[in-house]
Amino acid sequence: MRRYETIFIVRPNIAEDEIEAITGKATATIEGDGGIIFRINNWGLKKLAYLIKKESQGYYVYVDYAGVPASVAEIERIFRIDDRVLKYLTVKLSDSCDPEKVKEQLANAEPEAVPDDENIEDEESETANEE
Amino acid sequence: MAPKKRIFPRQKVCRFCADKSLVIDYKEVRTLRNFVTERGKIIPQRIYGNCARHQRKLTDAIKKARQIALMPYSGPTQL
Repeated sequence: MRRYETIFIVRPNIAEDEIEAITGKATATIEGDGGIIFRINNWGLKKLAYLIKKESQGYYVYVDYAGVPASVAEIERIFRIDDRVLKYLTVKLSDSCDPEKVKEQLANAEPEAVPDDENIEDEESETANEE
Repeated sequence: MAPKKRIFPRQKVCRFCADKSLVIDYKEVRTLRNFVTERGKIIPQRIYGNCARHQRKLTDAIKKARQIALMPYSGPTQL
């Protein structure tokens, strides 16, 4: 099994439970193929660096898991069909992974913080530019 | 003929080699921000003296961050 992480962006005008439904569908696909979900992080509404399908904001969801290549192909197919998903990115973290060890590591490590929102800084730079 | 003036540039050290706690991760935009211009262009390694290995990892990370809209392909972040 390989370890992957997937980030996908959902349209901002979508209700929370619908986002959960999309996430649930993806995780069910992974687990259906014998994969293991390590963590799901909801980064919340973030400003996009550029417009995607005419949206300037999006909900980021991060999933860290171990799975087989076929399940990655399947969830990416689902994302492509789903209009609510703006964009997705899957990165392979390692070619082989021992789920027990990863779980142990994650338990020992500090809970990973949601990446800092850049909005505060951006606003500062915006005002600087205007001056 | 005046003797050639030799200017020795200050030895720059790769920031990531010097500080092992700095991790290059495409999800950590805060670190990556330091290595792009205001317009979002990747700054060449000769400016900050990054080593080849870390510069390579850095560019890969920035390009991944661009794909998932954490960083702009061009232009400042505000729209």
